[in-house]
Amino acid sequence: MASKSGTISTYSPLFSRKNPNFTNGVRSDGRHFHECRLAFLRTGAVNAASGSAYAEFGNTKVIVSVFGPRESKKAMMYSDTGRLNCSVSFTTFSTPIRGQGSEHKEFSSMLHKALEGAIMLETFPKTTVDVFALVLESGGSELPVIISCASLALADAGIAMFDLVTSVSVSCFKDDLVIDPVFEEESCQDGSLMIVCMPLRNEVTQLTVTGEWSTPKVHEAMDLCLGACSKLGDIMRLCLKEAASTLQ
Amino acid sequence: MEGKSEELEGEMEVEAYRRLFPLQFYERHLSDSVRPDARPLNKARPTSIVPAPLPSADASAMVKIGNTTMLSGIKLEIMFPSSDSPDEGCIAIDFHMPPICSPMVRPGRPAEAAPVISQQLNNVIMSSKLIDLKELSIASGKAAWMVYLEIYCLDADGALFDAALLSAVAAIAHLEIPPVCLNEEGRVVSSQGQAETNTDNNGNTNNSNTEKRKLTLGSIPFSLTCLLHKQYLLVDPTDEEESIMPSLLTVVLDTSGHLISLYKPGGPVLAYTSTTKNCVALATRRVKELEKILKEALSEMDVIEN
Repeated sequence: MASKSGTISTYSPLFSRKNPNFTNGVRSDGRHFHECRLAFLRTGAVNAASGSAYAEFGNTKVIVSVFGPRESKKAMMYSDTGRLNCSVSFTTFSTPIRGQGSEHKEFSSMLHKALEGAIMLETFPKTTVDVFALVLESGGSELPVIISCASLALADAGIAMFDLVTSVSVSCFKDDLVIDPVFEEESCQDGSLMIVCMPLRNEVTQLTVTGEWSTPKVHEAMDLCLGACSKLGDIMRLCLKEAASTLQ
Repeated sequence: MEGKSEELEGEMEVEAYRRLFPLQFYERHLSDSVRPDARPLNKARPTSIVPAPLPSADASAMVKIGNTTMLSGIKLEIMFPSSDSPDEGCIAIDFHMPPICSPMVRPGRPAEAAPVISQQLNNVIMSSKLIDLKELSIASGKAAWMVYLEIYCLDADGALFDAALLSAVAAIAHLEIPPVCLNEEGRVVSSQGQAETNTDNNGNTNNSNTEKRKLTLGSIPFSLTCLLHKQYLLVDPTDEEESIMPSLLTVVLDTSGHLISLYKPGGPVLAYTSTTKNCVALATRRVKELEKILKEALSEMDVIEN
């Protein structure tokens, strides 16, 4: 049956897509421009892993598992410092139209680059730490959620880091800045900016800016993101503390 | 080896003994009719179904059996029916083990178990007549629904097939076919919320329905995996148990007690007729349990929606 279905071409019926409308400074989901979605974070989602975390920001749902430090692949050369290996995948039903998640091939390397600066790689020489993420449902701003969730999972696995890594993105619509955009907003934005930072150290590990921006707008967006990142950091710390206190 | 382990036992910590002599560790438990997680041999782990966790999929369900976690989701698409069955839709079932679920799976090197379970799920769901493919027809010979049912293992801790089948069945039971109609170019468009404008604009809206409909389900298949080791029979094994004692037997029964599938993929322990009978008896009891759990989850789903 599976082989038969592979040859059948199918298409998704055309459902009416809602465009984001901003009336009186309120977004389609009832948030204000500078208001993030409600976040739910929890560590220890996957028992088979050394550490794991589940993050839910609105409809964006992500699980990250961390394995290791464990033996590197046989083909790898000797290394004084540890290695970090990241992989991001999507479920086929995560996107509104089936199977579109595979378009985000760059996420694995983006996640790697966002995290490597924060991890003390010299604490696990010769070995590899694997960070695997699975997006269960994509409701917008997946990459920032994956990155924040991954750092929470690393902390759960007991991997030494300089600080938790948090990430928030902003979409730009002409004169308006919209934080933590949902899927519909992202698909018709003029520009987007994402910051990955270590809030307590005030250091940025990754910054991406795409689309049309004016200098003052970039500054405004960065301030907005950094503020949200430090708040997210507090929430993540609280989540880790709670998990630790229930263990005792 | 045997004698050595006896000597070491007295002075060894339990965890170390468990790692070094796993089989002896288990056998000492089994001789007392108990498992290391304090379960009796014939008791399955706590089972729960989370109703509709993913609002963007057409149907979804998450199942937990102990630590084993499965997430299934359904996406509906339109297909052109084949000429030999013009009034039938199609269902494609796929089982995935992403690298997050187990330390044994790495990206680019898929788990061996995944295609096996995929095929088993296909066989069971197709042969149990759970879905009538004729109900997936939209317009005979022109369009029909293709049901993409995908099951993801989020945490692998044994009895993967049981959990996968339960989550697949829960998603199918929750599936609602959205209202659609054929437009002038023969493409299928959603008629939800715009039913009136559609009927006004094009007169030939054949087979257009304006309300969501559920599928009529046939008898629902449930399964139980048993582990065979010497004279012992362990129900619903964990990953550790499966790795130490590799002989499994899976029984699939439907709600009316019909045997749908019996699967014993080799292994060093041979199953006697009496053992097989015992497994079927245990499965019959388990089906009652699972039926109740599924019923409760489905009524919960309805409450959420209304």
